[in-house]
Amino acid sequence: MSNLAVLPIVIPLISGILLALIHKKIHLVRILAKIFTGLNLIVSLYIMYDVQQNGSIVLESGGWNSPFGIVLVADLLAIVLVVTTNIVALACVFYAPKSLSKQQEEFYFYTFFFMLITGVSGAFLTGDLFNLFVFFEVLLMASYALIVLGGGKVQLRESIKYVLINLFSSMLFVTTIAFLYSVVGTVNMAQIAERVQEVDQKGILTTIAIMLFFVFGTKAALFPLYYWLPKPYIVPNPVVSALFGALLTKVGIYSILRVFTLIFVHDPAFTHNFFIWIAGFTLIFGAVGALSTNNIKLVVAYNIIPAVGFMIMGIGIYNEAALSGAIYYLIHDMIIKAALFLLVGAIAYLAGTSDLRKIRGLIHQYPLLGWLFFLSAFVLAGIPPFSGFIGKLLLLQGGLESGEVVIVIIALLSSLLILLSLMRIFVRGFWGEKDDSIQVNKKAAQSFTIPVVFLLFFSVLLGVGAELFYPMIESISSYLLNPEIYIESVLKE
Amino acid sequence: MEIIMSILAGILFTIGIYNLLQKQLLRIVIGTALISHGAHLFILTMGKLKRGAPPILEYGISEYSDPLPQALILTSIVISFGVTSLLLVLAYRASKENNTDNMDQLRGNENE
Amino acid sequence: MLFAVFIPLLIACFIPYLSKFKDKIHTGIFVLFVPLAIFIYFLQFIGNNFAPFSHNYSWIPSLNISLDFYLDGLSLLFVLLISGIGTLVTLYSIFYLHKSERLGHFYVYLLMFMTAMLGVVLSDNVFVLYSFWELTSISSFLLIGYWHYRERSRYGALKSMLITVFGGLSMLGGFVLLTIITGSTSIQVMISQTDVILHSPYLPLIMALILLGAFTKSAQFPFHIWLPDAMEAPTPVSAYLHSATMVKAGIYLVARFSPIFTTYEWFFIIVSGIGIVTLVWGSYMAVRQTDLKGILAFSTISQLGMIMTMLGFGTKAAAFAAVFHILNHATFKGSLFMVAGIIDHETGSRDIRKLGGLMTFMPISATLALFGTFSMAGVPLPFLNGFYSKEMFFETSLHLNDATLLIAEIMRTGIPYLAVFGSIFTFVYSMYLFFGTFTGKNHIDELPKKPHEAPLGMLISPALLIIGVIIIGLIPNIVNESLLAHAAQAISGEEVHQHIAFWHGFKAPLFMSLIVVIVGSILYVLRNKWKNTYLLIPGKLSLNKAYNAILDGSEKYSRKITNSYMNGSIRRYIALIIVAILIVTFTTMFTTNGFTIKMDDLAEVTAAEILIAIVMVVAALGTVFARNNVAAILILGVVGYGLAVLFVFYRAPDLALTQLVVETITVALFLLCFYHLPNLRPRTESVKTKLVNATIAIGFGALMTMVAISAHSSKWFTTISDYFVENSHDLGGGDNIVNVILVDFRGIDTLFEIVVLGIAALAIYGMTKLRDDKGVE
Repeated sequence: MSNLAVLPIVIPLISGILLALIHKKIHLVRILAKIFTGLNLIVSLYIMYDVQQNGSIVLESGGWNSPFGIVLVADLLAIVLVVTTNIVALACVFYAPKSLSKQQEEFYFYTFFFMLITGVSGAFLTGDLFNLFVFFEVLLMASYALIVLGGGKVQLRESIKYVLINLFSSMLFVTTIAFLYSVVGTVNMAQIAERVQEVDQKGILTTIAIMLFFVFGTKAALFPLYYWLPKPYIVPNPVVSALFGALLTKVGIYSILRVFTLIFVHDPAFTHNFFIWIAGFTLIFGAVGALSTNNIKLVVAYNIIPAVGFMIMGIGIYNEAALSGAIYYLIHDMIIKAALFLLVGAIAYLAGTSDLRKIRGLIHQYPLLGWLFFLSAFVLAGIPPFSGFIGKLLLLQGGLESGEVVIVIIALLSSLLILLSLMRIFVRGFWGEKDDSIQVNKKAAQSFTIPVVFLLFFSVLLGVGAELFYPMIESISSYLLNPEIYIESVLKE
Repeated sequence: MEIIMSILAGILFTIGIYNLLQKQLLRIVIGTALISHGAHLFILTMGKLKRGAPPILEYGISEYSDPLPQALILTSIVISFGVTSLLLVLAYRASKENNTDNMDQLRGNENE
Repeated sequence: MLFAVFIPLLIACFIPYLSKFKDKIHTGIFVLFVPLAIFIYFLQFIGNNFAPFSHNYSWIPSLNISLDFYLDGLSLLFVLLISGIGTLVTLYSIFYLHKSERLGHFYVYLLMFMTAMLGVVLSDNVFVLYSFWELTSISSFLLIGYWHYRERSRYGALKSMLITVFGGLSMLGGFVLLTIITGSTSIQVMISQTDVILHSPYLPLIMALILLGAFTKSAQFPFHIWLPDAMEAPTPVSAYLHSATMVKAGIYLVARFSPIFTTYEWFFIIVSGIGIVTLVWGSYMAVRQTDLKGILAFSTISQLGMIMTMLGFGTKAAAFAAVFHILNHATFKGSLFMVAGIIDHETGSRDIRKLGGLMTFMPISATLALFGTFSMAGVPLPFLNGFYSKEMFFETSLHLNDATLLIAEIMRTGIPYLAVFGSIFTFVYSMYLFFGTFTGKNHIDELPKKPHEAPLGMLISPALLIIGVIIIGLIPNIVNESLLAHAAQAISGEEVHQHIAFWHGFKAPLFMSLIVVIVGSILYVLRNKWKNTYLLIPGKLSLNKAYNAILDGSEKYSRKITNSYMNGSIRRYIALIIVAILIVTFTTMFTTNGFTIKMDDLAEVTAAEILIAIVMVVAALGTVFARNNVAAILILGVVGYGLAVLFVFYRAPDLALTQLVVETITVALFLLCFYHLPNLRPRTESVKTKLVNATIAIGFGALMTMVAISAHSSKWFTTISDYFVENSHDLGGGDNIVNVILVDFRGIDTLFEIVVLGIAALAIYGMTKLRDDKGVE
């Protein structure tokens, strides 16, 4: 049954290729895209169930024994993230037809979309560092394609910046892999972990670890590496923004989480403490950025930054509660960020502008949209009983257990700023006198609303129904704290 | 020799980065190309240089150069090629659309 | 109890449906039964033999978050207030809110608030308490913003939310610390572990965090500024949330946790200190207000300060006085708010300068107000409950626990004087409120509406509250043992028996009350003479201005900070990123002794390779100085071909071949794309920029070289490549090991490398064909 693990990569890959072949038959493409995404979600859910029952699935590709071939490792962490990815994807695929122009759809939007999912799933599932680089390139190339899709002046201008920064970090990535290979003689992550442990992460290894951190940190948009993120994320279509906001930075964070719980865990006093510092600055500058603008899309884009701040905080604190918090927050943020990007996309579409100063009283025309936004604001700010709260609570617990009072206070304050940044939109954009110049477009509003409701359902479920998920997350974090389990499952002698 | 090659790759990175920090798009794209050359040279250097024969099995030879870095470089070259091509077309389109190839004029009003 | 807490929320789900019939039946009528039923249900627990009990419901057991509801005297008092006042307020709102208003929204928010508030006072689990706590902030936000087309409402709503959520977050921090220290999330268990908490090094932090939550919610100085602006809410809301219940959540919190902190002297210093300052400041500022609801808001602030002060005292008598005053304040202040609402409703104005002489038009309201204001002022009359608790406050302020810290000692001496001082102003504004509105010359011509008495239904609720005032005044011990004693016991942790009496003999408290009445009367009469002191204190200093400055500043400065580095320049971004990498990585390398260099085991240096290397360097440098597109691209090609030659030297024939092909195509592509673009210009940037760029570039190159040398000098393991060499032929079926690796051992890499190329091709195709730009930007 271990071949299962390859399905979340192969299904979108085949879907993408297939849809490229029939890209002109747009109605068929739309239907198939929904079916394939749904199928992929179901398959992922099944794999998650299987992993829960029987433990990690280790797939040695081509039948080559690890560490010599490339392994795919569907452990609980990876598969949970794959499932979340597919939930987000499903919402986006339903949102897309209304949001995109027909030309954009015809010009392979769905192919790029599925390739992005392929890359993201692959990055989560692979157990090989160089293969991780390859999947990074797959998802980056798909994201390049999506960001320029049908773009004009501004979009092209911002795309260049996006591509350049990512190109730079990719080159750094591949070089760093080479350095690491030179020292440990392998690119299989489990074996790297084993060998790093053998020499107790001495010599140049910590330096290499920090370089890897910068590689992933650039993708994850951590301080002081996130400059490239906000603007390029808001220029493409909201669907693309939602995919980017939900998935791309998270792959970076996931990689940090993986590498610094599996491989480089022998000098936490240096590396992990450093992360806490990074987390503090990321939280502050991100939240400050979110307050700095009147562009509602940009507000949401900036909010990506403090969110990754929370996650790196959990990784830095590095105890069970904090790691659970980071993982919970990761899942929560994937969903809510997608929902928020879709929401502000809908608002901007319906109001005809994304400039908050020009929007008012939208609640008169679009009450449901307004309340969904209201709810999302609280979800994001971590107000109970929604998903953000559980993650935040665990992070606070973990932080205080380790005596990291300062970062906890920063985290609390930045929650307030996050709330403020979104409530500003609600108070100024939705409240107020009715703006009669806005024509009500019920049909569009409805097709925007359904995917958002779908996503928010999970946000509420993750909070109110935390009991359904938390034990699993807890087992993931205790698993991460014992990297031997991973190593043995891959390298079983 | 490995040290000299490391230095050479470092120099390629240096000049690449220097070009990357320029305003004109062409220089910037050239910079990325130089950086990827540097990266590939680093990968090659990280396997040992000139130990043994080219990694094509021949009867009677037991020492071969490390084949893995070579395989990785091959993958990387192809990927870099894809990215560079895309970047080139993007750069061309962006500078045509915006009527400039100066990144300083391609800043945009960041927070609006 | 679960049902009792959640029934309002449950009913709220039906309100949008029920509100469709609002033209026939006022939606409030359906709502009315909810708090009434809760009130009646909880009435049964009043009694001398009441013993606390709890009901537990599981929610998130793995996080120790469960819906544990705990009913003791303190919760019972609050539950009765919430449901009792809730009933009256709902009744009142039926007449206050016209059917044309968005009733559905109003009652949904109101019911949401009831659930939240009941949850706050009944939860034993700190995290559940926190959840309900934030829900009260949210529902308060929605209710204040009910008339959101008004600018002031929006301002007030956001302000109240920010301040209370800020406090809530801080409180959450405190709760997390408490759970870590005690290993439990139950407040009762925490209380049983008081010793552990008192010996924790985190004690000051825990207390500060929790108190910050309480002070913001209960509008204590200097966080009180949100409350006056919250008066933008419809009056029933002000009476309910912003006077009787929600603002007392902070009081509740302090009372609930006081068994833990009470022996800690700083608890007294901070709680009583802030409380007394709030008392004085609130009553002093109330005199200056011109809006009826403004006066009442500051009055509420002041009274909350008084209760807070008593909670800080930590004596049994003070605990009793505090709960007694909570009850009394709810009655007289609730009725006064409702009367203020009536005046607003019937005259169209709340500006006390425009009012006056309303007694003849609104005799019943005036009578109700008379009782309310006099009770609030603490006028010594045996049928006004306000006097009793006010006198108990004086009494307790004279019998404080011994102090060890100097500051506590100073406070012990000062508090009675400040208590009297603050109460004088309370007296003044109470008089002002009543006489200014109902007596004197009327200005009915200036009022928007011709004043007349309110409809009977609107008067029922305030009248019932005033009856409460009088009953408690006449029979002060009516709920003493059955309710108040239990509540006081929950606060002080011991049994409390306190007899309430009107006459105590000629003792200090009586003289204090007399001073208040006499000096208060004089100050009231002469108020025009001394009102200029307000120009001095607070003068131009205003906490509101501070808040506005912080809020505006947060936007302005965040914009400034963010724009200062997010300037859209890719050069800046890359430079900043590289500088960060350089600083951190070099630091890491030196602190962990990462740099090593081993000169043995190196390949020999040959002239040919050196020559190629030099050519490559020169060519690379050429790209920097070239002025012509074609030239620059061609010399870039030289570097690429140089690399191919190196691949040949280093036994990588496949690489060399690929590199040659790729380089050729790339150069062609370069030429294709850049031939028509402007030629390279001389680099015009300043010498300084050039130097910075060069430094960054050289630094990065050096870093990479150093790490590379170290990595190469640290080959501690045999590589997995040996396996490929050994098995390529037998298992992989090929002699070209690199090829076997690519297509077999690492086939996935190759597959997806092709995918990358494919995507790139499609993307390029799209970029060149699809130029229609629809709806983007």
